[in-house]
Amino acid sequence: MNKNVLEWLSATVSKYPSKTAFRDTDGSITFYELYDKARRIGSALAKITPPKKPVAVISGRTVNTPVTFLGVVFSGCFYAPLDANQPVYRLRLILETLDPKLIVTDKAHFEFTKSLGFKGEILISEELAESEADEAILSKIADGACEDDPLYVIFTSGSSGKPKGVITSHRSLMCYIDAYRSVMNIDRNEVLGNQSPLDYIAAIRDIYLPVYTGASTYIIPTVYFTSPVKLFEALDREKITCIGWSVSALTLPTSMGAFNHITPRYLKKICFSGSVMPCKYLKIWQEKLPDALFVNQYGPTEATASCTYYIIKEKVKDDDILPIGIPYRNYKVFLLNDDNTATAKGQKGEICVSGPILSLGYYNDPERTAASFIQNPLNGVYRELIYKTGDLGRVREDGCLEFHGRKDRQFKHLGHRVEPEEIETAAGKAEGVSACAALYDGKKELIYLFYAGEASPKDISVYLRKILPGFMVPRKFVKSDRLPSLPNGKTDIESLKKYFE
Amino acid sequence: MKEKLMEILEELRPDVDFEEEKRLIDDSVLDSFDIVSLVSELNDAFEIDIQVENLLPENFNSAENMLKLIKKLQDEN
Repeated sequence: MNKNVLEWLSATVSKYPSKTAFRDTDGSITFYELYDKARRIGSALAKITPPKKPVAVISGRTVNTPVTFLGVVFSGCFYAPLDANQPVYRLRLILETLDPKLIVTDKAHFEFTKSLGFKGEILISEELAESEADEAILSKIADGACEDDPLYVIFTSGSSGKPKGVITSHRSLMCYIDAYRSVMNIDRNEVLGNQSPLDYIAAIRDIYLPVYTGASTYIIPTVYFTSPVKLFEALDREKITCIGWSVSALTLPTSMGAFNHITPRYLKKICFSGSVMPCKYLKIWQEKLPDALFVNQYGPTEATASCTYYIIKEKVKDDDILPIGIPYRNYKVFLLNDDNTATAKGQKGEICVSGPILSLGYYNDPERTAASFIQNPLNGVYRELIYKTGDLGRVREDGCLEFHGRKDRQFKHLGHRVEPEEIETAAGKAEGVSACAALYDGKKELIYLFYAGEASPKDISVYLRKILPGFMVPRKFVKSDRLPSLPNGKTDIESLKKYFE
Repeated sequence: MKEKLMEILEELRPDVDFEEEKRLIDDSVLDSFDIVSLVSELNDAFEIDIQVENLLPENFNSAENMLKLIKKLQDEN
């Protein structure tokens, strides 16, 4: 049994040393080069940090980024990938929680990283990769490794306004990748097309499937996602066979008519997740790629990216709603009522998850960890932690799970999960905003900010761009004298929702 | 025509200075979602039909380039 992803990498590199692991528009890296460079980086880092510590990584959309991640892992530490495109304010909040001693960046982001005012050491991955690998240090670290060591910490929206760092262990990641690999039937011949930002949870498939199976990943330039023809041409040119994309990445090119121009001929396997797939677009994909495998996937970051999958065997119609399917191997998924009793057959309940894929919690945040990861209330006889997703579900007659929205106000936008309270906390601090509420119009996929105060939409928008990641900044602003309120003084969100009717 | 375009852009993304920005796509100032909304608004406002082949970074990197595209499509009509 493998205890960590480095053992996967060793096995893969011995089988396919000269095969391409990762490719971007500027170059590629073989498994041997990946292994060699990551060991050099790991050795250099191990000389300045003890193992099992967080290392922040700020790195671009290049083959160098997975090398850096694995370099951190070779040092016995775990990485926290940070998106350089998010506002400095938010990066600092994350660094405050993570409190790393080191940031590893690439040459392209060195100046930017220096501008963060970070007190610890900033290192450049390309330079670390020049140092010598130290076999003695690396094997000592490998001996001390456990499968439940953290592998990475990925930050996600937090309702208090402070991002939460979800910690994933080697074991959880390996369980998920193995389960996904078997559903998608992925082997070394596959070429994966990476869409997700490399710092985002959805990228773990594109990073670790090659490490596990010997497949290759092509990192698609972000700008192609605004040019559907270029995107489809790239899928064809790079002979991409398998993609795991956010729903919006699949619907946008379809809605703009990319299939009228070109059909990616090599594409055989398509998995999507992040939000509910509108079937009028899936129908077009099915028509254009009649032999491809389509899989709908569901799950939160706290359960290592996903819990359930649904293989779409039927030809969908415009208004169909896809179920979210059945649990992946090694995932236990069940429903609970509000009073923590088991949900009766055919009824709606909160989707709960347990198993070895459960996150180690929120980094440096024992309170929120204790609140979210609880003992299974149905199990009074041995320790069994579960995560309550906040999503509502119902089990169909055939055992398939359906998704029925959220218990709280969280929503998914362009594949990202957003806590409206985080937007409200930020907007509430803007000058000239006395009250505000963030709501999502799911039909138009637009975030609205309803607010009272003197500020103009432009003022608020410019201010929020400095605090929130771009996808979280509202696109529509509705100004009024006051927001409707409930008897207890809280904003009446339900009455605001009528605006979208 | 420029005024109308600037109005649409301002409404779409009030935080962006469209007079100055020349790398709206290359620098990911506008994301794919902005482009979809923009295309449908431009189609309506200028009675054009932007094709998927027109969705190239160079056509949307600046307000000026968008104007050129709009004019070109109007001439073709």
